[in-house]
Amino acid sequence: MAQAESSAATPFETDFWKDAKLRKMWDDIVPGEPRKTLPYKLTQEAIALYCRAVGETNPLYLDEAAAKAGPYGGLIAPPAIHILLMFACTPADDWMRSPGTVNAGQSWSYNIPARPGDTITLQARALDKFIKRERLFVVHDNVFFNQHGDVICSGRGQTIRPM
Amino acid sequence: MISANFDALKAGDTIDGPAFAVSRESIRLFCDASLDYNPLHLDDDYMKGDFGKTNFGGIIMHGMNNFGLISRMLTDWALPAGAIHRRLETRWLKPVKPGDTIRPGGTIKAKQTTAKSRWVLVDVAVQNQRGETVAAGEAMLEFPAS
Repeated sequence: MAQAESSAATPFETDFWKDAKLRKMWDDIVPGEPRKTLPYKLTQEAIALYCRAVGETNPLYLDEAAAKAGPYGGLIAPPAIHILLMFACTPADDWMRSPGTVNAGQSWSYNIPARPGDTITLQARALDKFIKRERLFVVHDNVFFNQHGDVICSGRGQTIRPM
Repeated sequence: MISANFDALKAGDTIDGPAFAVSRESIRLFCDASLDYNPLHLDDDYMKGDFGKTNFGGIIMHGMNNFGLISRMLTDWALPAGAIHRRLETRWLKPVKPGDTIRPGGTIKAKQTTAKSRWVLVDVAVQNQRGETVAAGEAMLEFPAS
């Protein structure tokens, strides 16, 4: 097991089975306990890729000259970029990446946009866990910040944990 | 579709979102864009198995792809009017699979003026090509006081 890997220098692990045994199961998750997270430098390329995946075409996200003349004075990321940030800021051994994790619903509040070049940090924890109709649920509590300490967005979600 | 004018908006007005064709390629692209490589979205053999009480029968689209499409609809509608997408809550009702075509839509539910701003609440839903609702929720848009 490569425990000494530097998270900053390691490319994103796309095999979610790797490290699966290291991850906490529902039984091990302690509500209230902060999760270990990683800072993430958001790039224009990552924003453009996200935009392509959902068909976003707004020039505020993609056209530097148009964005400069717009209300934010420069390029921004779409609000739902937290979809990417969530995994980008999550270490490979975190239970959020357990294969079979099913997303059961989310709510997000938006403060200011993320921008290309931002270094994003995440404060995250399980806030609650419960059993409903024989399924194992965890309530997630997440807040993303930029390098100035400003809140970008905050969210609450529920996942059903693999058994 | 109604334009984003706070004073003119009323309950029942609708917002149309873009149609989105779901394919194995669109799901794979969403994996790359979101860094969410959960085998739910990649591995047909794995998806033959049961998940607790659920069997999906094959790979499924990321639930958050619905979320991203709803968010795209809301921002494209609100931004030209200077309004800001402030909140979105969704839950997933049915899995979405390759070959489906989904489309988000919104219905104005209420308006509220607070001490410093003006808000519009929108019921949102995503439907598939059979008219089934696959995701539903509500959103909050801010129209800064002029």
